[in-house]
Amino acid sequence: MTAFLEIKDLTVTFRVGSAIAARLKGDPVPDLVAVDDITFTVDRGESLGIVGESGCGKSTLARAITGLVPVTSGSISLDGGPLGKRRSKATRRRVQMVFQDPSSSLNPSMTVERTLAELLRVHKIVPRDRIDARCAELMDLVELPKSLLKARPRSLSGGQRQRVGIARALALEPDVLIADEAVAALDVSVQAPVLNLLNQLREELGLTVMFISHDLAVVRYVSDRVIVMYLGNAVEDRSTVDLFESPRHPYTRALMAAAPKFGVKKAPGESAIKGEPPSALDLPSGCRFRPRCPLAEEICEQVEPDLSGASETERTACHFPWEG
Amino acid sequence: MSDRILEVEDLSVTLERGGKEITPVQNVSVSLGRGEALGIAGESGCGKSLTLKSIIGLLPPGAIVGGDLRFALDREEPISYESADVHGHGIAIIFQEPMTALNPTMRVGDLIAEGPKIHHGLDRREARERAIELMRLVGIPSPEKRARMWPHQLSGGLRQRVMIAAALSTEPKLLLCDEPTTALDVSIQDQILGLLQELRTRLDMSIIFVSHDLAVIGELCDRIAIMYAGQVVEKGPVDEVFADPKHPYTEALMHSVPSFQQTTEKLEGIEGAPPDPGSFPDGCRFAPRCRYVRDDCATASYALVQIGERRETGCIHPELLEGIGS
Repeated sequence: MTAFLEIKDLTVTFRVGSAIAARLKGDPVPDLVAVDDITFTVDRGESLGIVGESGCGKSTLARAITGLVPVTSGSISLDGGPLGKRRSKATRRRVQMVFQDPSSSLNPSMTVERTLAELLRVHKIVPRDRIDARCAELMDLVELPKSLLKARPRSLSGGQRQRVGIARALALEPDVLIADEAVAALDVSVQAPVLNLLNQLREELGLTVMFISHDLAVVRYVSDRVIVMYLGNAVEDRSTVDLFESPRHPYTRALMAAAPKFGVKKAPGESAIKGEPPSALDLPSGCRFRPRCPLAEEICEQVEPDLSGASETERTACHFPWEG
Repeated sequence: MSDRILEVEDLSVTLERGGKEITPVQNVSVSLGRGEALGIAGESGCGKSLTLKSIIGLLPPGAIVGGDLRFALDREEPISYESADVHGHGIAIIFQEPMTALNPTMRVGDLIAEGPKIHHGLDRREARERAIELMRLVGIPSPEKRARMWPHQLSGGLRQRVMIAAALSTEPKLLLCDEPTTALDVSIQDQILGLLQELRTRLDMSIIFVSHDLAVIGELCDRIAIMYAGQVVEKGPVDEVFADPKHPYTEALMHSVPSFQQTTEKLEGIEGAPPDPGSFPDGCRFAPRCRYVRDDCATASYALVQIGERRETGCIHPELLEGIGS
């Protein structure tokens, strides 16, 4: 059986700086590897969380799967069919995205109704005379009053805007919904209802969800399985329960130790991870986490550890994974 | 002699917006002891940043400040002050976004040296040495090299450290922090919190830390004030407030944050959105969103009531609260 969404050896690089200047100086053209050779699968109806700090490539990965940035090498396939560089309208429809900042990802001059109706019309989701009715259904789906169909984004609150963002993604009836930091811009009291809505929609519509966030707690709340990324690599890929109960990769452990916790006072000068992530243009040899890792030994400097383990969804990329 | 360093009494801030007067901060009273860290928590628009900015006098032009602000530089009774008196002499502030708060046309060493030059009369060489010393204090590696860099050449975490160094350059007794870790990654946030905690004990400095993140406040602060719609709705020692909130808003906030320490069944969140400063509801301002609301809440006038030894709540029905975990 092939998996529903299959990402194989996916690499995305960006050209940085001026290629001409580099060539004149005789240097190689600098490439930034944002996503480096990542392989994973997602089952139908599964909710996968991707967590990591800024610059780890999590958003680029999401954009590559949606088709918003070109893939450098590797392949993405959905339900056995490839998702390539050029996608037909019908395949584009199947992977949709909810963006971080709803205020800048909605067209300020369009009413909610126009935003939704345009998609329904262009993609011929419903016959023309059903468009109005479908817009109303979508509003119900994301629990917004229908009166807001006539509103423009600026008169909506942050939470309402994000619900419109979700409705827009759902208008195309996708199989895969990718939420890229979908609640990061929202106030805490508004975050929870949006997270609940995403959970509920996933159940009702049988959506496959990829939830991308820097926030471990949010990922834990919405995902069945979590991939932890560091500097373009996946370093740990395990079920949510296992990962939070016994993180194996030292980076995952450090991230958890760094997250603020209730009832714990910070000791003066204490911190879970020393230093800062190295530049993606100047990666350390061997394991990328080595310079900051408390467990690093000689082998970590020479050999880059593979992401491997007992099964597809039980993998860690470390020479000395924590066994707990 | 007094161990109080700052007293804010009945602070209100009035601004003009679209020809209309609005009061985004009203009846705020907080006080701070020497070496103490106070957290102010609340959602966007609750007035927490404006409260902080009124303390150091950085409000937008046209803002009218009411109430009384008192500050004690040395171990004496806090006295009323003008904001110009405390700039560079006792109170300093750090902001959320270090990139926009640092002058992009100044090398970071010069930027830090500015305070000692202006306020302590050091000459250029002395000030530069002082800057490097401060950079070392806040944990910037190879400070001699970094002092010659521009802000854009530094990472977010280092920029925030530079801002802290600049704030410390005039040896403040009170450091105001306006969400200084919100724009940072968790691992860097963790480092900055550790640094602030260290500086506080080492320099015997008081801190007011404004954040929307309750857990962050819990890690750093001794006491917390929760703000909603321009008013303080609950005050008390951090641990006690988190363990047993006495205001429905505090309780609801705690129910809406997912915890990564344990799997929560379902988050509750709060219905509706915080009110706009132009149209605060009458009576208890949280009443329209409150799950315990009673008839008399709509007419209740605002007052913080002492409850227990060190706690205060703005709720008139704290007995209705079911407590965390129910």
